[in-house]
Amino acid sequence: MRIVASYNVKGGVGKTTAAVNLAYLSAREGRRTLLWDLDPQGAATFLFRVKPRVKGGGGRLVRRERPIGAALKATDFTGLDLLPADVTYRNLDLDLAGAHGRSTKASRALGRLLGELADDYDVVFLDTPPSLSLVSENALRASDVVLVPIIPTVLALRTYDQLAEFVDGFDGRRPRLHAFFSMADRRKSLHREIIASLPGERDGISPTAVPALSQVEQMAVHRAPLPVYAPDSPATRAYHSLWTELAGLAGA
Amino acid sequence: MLGALNPAAGTRYTLSAGQATTRTVTYLDTVDWRLRRKGLVLRHERATSEAGTLRLDGTGDAVSATLPSPVAWPARIEHLPDGELRDGLADAMWVRAVAPVAKGRLVTREAAVLNEDGKIVVRLDWAELTGSEPVRTEPLVRVTVRPLLGYRRDAERVTRALRDSEGFEPAEDTLYQALLAAVGSTAEAIARPAISADMPADVAVATALLGFADTIVDNVDGVVDDVDTEFLHDLRVAVRRSRSLIKLAGDVLPERLVARHAPGFKWLGDVTTPTRDLDVYLLELEELAAGLVAGERQDLEPFAEHLDRERRKARRALVRALRSQRFTRLLDGWRSGLAGIAEREESEKDSERGLAARELVAGRLRRMVKKVTRRAQAITPDSPSEDVHDLRKRCKELRYLLEFAKPLCDESAFRAALKDLKKLQDILGDFQDGEVQSAALRVFAERMQEDPSRPPAATLLAMGELSARFVTLQRQARHDLTAALERFLGPDTQVRSEALLP
Ligand SMILES: Nc1ncnc2c1ncn2[C@@H]1O[C@H](COP(=O)(O)OP(=O)(O)OP(=O)(O)O)[C@@H](O)[C@H]1O
Ligand SMILES: [Mg+2]
Repeated sequence: MRIVASYNVKGGVGKTTAAVNLAYLSAREGRRTLLWDLDPQGAATFLFRVKPRVKGGGGRLVRRERPIGAALKATDFTGLDLLPADVTYRNLDLDLAGAHGRSTKASRALGRLLGELADDYDVVFLDTPPSLSLVSENALRASDVVLVPIIPTVLALRTYDQLAEFVDGFDGRRPRLHAFFSMADRRKSLHREIIASLPGERDGISPTAVPALSQVEQMAVHRAPLPVYAPDSPATRAYHSLWTELAGLAGA
Repeated sequence: MLGALNPAAGTRYTLSAGQATTRTVTYLDTVDWRLRRKGLVLRHERATSEAGTLRLDGTGDAVSATLPSPVAWPARIEHLPDGELRDGLADAMWVRAVAPVAKGRLVTREAAVLNEDGKIVVRLDWAELTGSEPVRTEPLVRVTVRPLLGYRRDAERVTRALRDSEGFEPAEDTLYQALLAAVGSTAEAIARPAISADMPADVAVATALLGFADTIVDNVDGVVDDVDTEFLHDLRVAVRRSRSLIKLAGDVLPERLVARHAPGFKWLGDVTTPTRDLDVYLLELEELAAGLVAGERQDLEPFAEHLDRERRKARRALVRALRSQRFTRLLDGWRSGLAGIAEREESEKDSERGLAARELVAGRLRRMVKKVTRRAQAITPDSPSEDVHDLRKRCKELRYLLEFAKPLCDESAFRAALKDLKKLQDILGDFQDGEVQSAALRVFAERMQEDPSRPPAATLLAMGELSARFVTLQRQARHDLTAALERFLGPDTQVRSEALLP
């Protein structure tokens, strides 16, 4: 089982959009895929038309009072299941800390929890909320690859560097970072410049850029992954390339 | 379809139908339902004009094989494409051919049940099978409710709604079973009534003989069409059983009936022998070739070709015989004569004061056991082969008599007695096989020599090796026979055969 987190400390950069589309493509290629929507806002859950509710809430899940399997929901797509968001995920930080105290265990609890599903899935995507919290640290530590959507600006790059530094400080297993340009706007010269130069200069930055298109925004209207209703969109093509890169990196 | 499924949706859900696919489905089995008895279902599916796909269910995971070219039915295992499906079938099919047992048109379609968010919460598989062969049937419909992970409640609700509606009820059988029932095909052959202890002896014998005659007739088409080698084998077993029973108990039947037909069964035995012998060789050849020590597997190829040619010749004579007036008259006359006895009015049976089946069986079995025992006791390590062969034939007669008497015997006593006898028969069979086969190889070799396309020396050498193996087999059997006879003649066996007698 390979674990991929879609993460950026910033909000609104395309984490959920990437996680949903890539999970869909992974399942379509025959991999048993799970998407865990860790964001209490439940954007990914909404996109799959699933009700944002986990019986017993996140606390019970983290304390292992309820099996993780009981919370799973099949999506409309073969081979793709969802672990939905729940409002109680707001307290997930506290729940994680509460269950494991201040020990390092608290930052590895999610990974261990996912271990229960190791035989059932080939790939797990984690859609994370925009924050640097115990939940996101858990997601980072559990992952084989961290997918980082970045908007091609200088400031965004700084946050990416900070993330790289943070992950570098992990002892033991470290995930690989894989950044890509999200919402790239070819009309902006700065975007063009950064996209053209950066992947050659820095490690872990994909040459693939997902163009900013209203078709992508429409996902919330269709409540479906982009390839389902816009198979020929340039953005769909970009997610395809991204998935190929990811599958290679994760060895999935 | 959507209309029929409407109750599933109720007011809570909406339905959305997927694409329908139509296929021609042919269900296959051997004539003796070997697949069915093992819980296997083999079907051929074809969408349009392509060769189609074979699917096998019942081996755990379903397996399928795409056919590169159409297969003509009936087909034996070697006619099916290599692969997992064939491996899954090989044991069950054995040497028998599979042929269509029923055919129909299958329309499948998936429907999704959506909740108020437009989320699929249940999937329904609709399957509609309309039989076309051997007879047309009404459409048979099955709906399978496929629950989705995390939506069990919805599946339960939909299932309940379907059950409560007019058109649906829980299915107790599969579509295949329903189709078989609809076309009136039963897996159980229509058996004659078993004989019973109180039956008049002649009625019992005639009933048994009628059963054998049915078997002979039932297997003729399969022999003529060369569907598989078991048709001939089964036919021959029925002929042998008939001959044995005529010999051992035919005296209770009208003399004229027996005198007129008995020679016909000898003829039938003789006319079927050459083909059966060649069948046995061809069936065994692969294994024999694999066991060669000095020779190579392919050395035997010219021998196989020779056998094949001989078999074709033998079959021509056989088919001619089975299509002859002599054959038809033999079976017709025999069957109607026997039927006259077996189906005699109850009142006539009652008024009779003749021998009952119980007495007949007891008397004949006792006599036969005594006969076999006497011959067995007379065999020493130095006895000539003829005596051993004679014992083998008597054992076979005892076996057939036992099988005839089976319905009147105590079940466990019968099984024990049969087991004892079988052990002895196996060794006697090996003895016979070894001798016959090595002698036959000599004849084959001579004939091949006479053929203008003389066989390579390597072939004859390999055949020599086989011949030596058969001689060894016979020697071994002769050696094992002493101990086997000791066991057979021991007190245990005697006790058992006493317990058996009705
Ligand atoms: N390539 C794109 N082109 C146009 N709009 C996009 C693109 N990618 C994402 N969006 C839109 O941007 C918004 C934010 O995207 P998304 O929800 O994926 O970001 P996020 O990082 O998960 O946000 P959050 O931090 O709030 O979880 C959404 O409305 C989405 O439809
Ligand atoms: Mg998000």
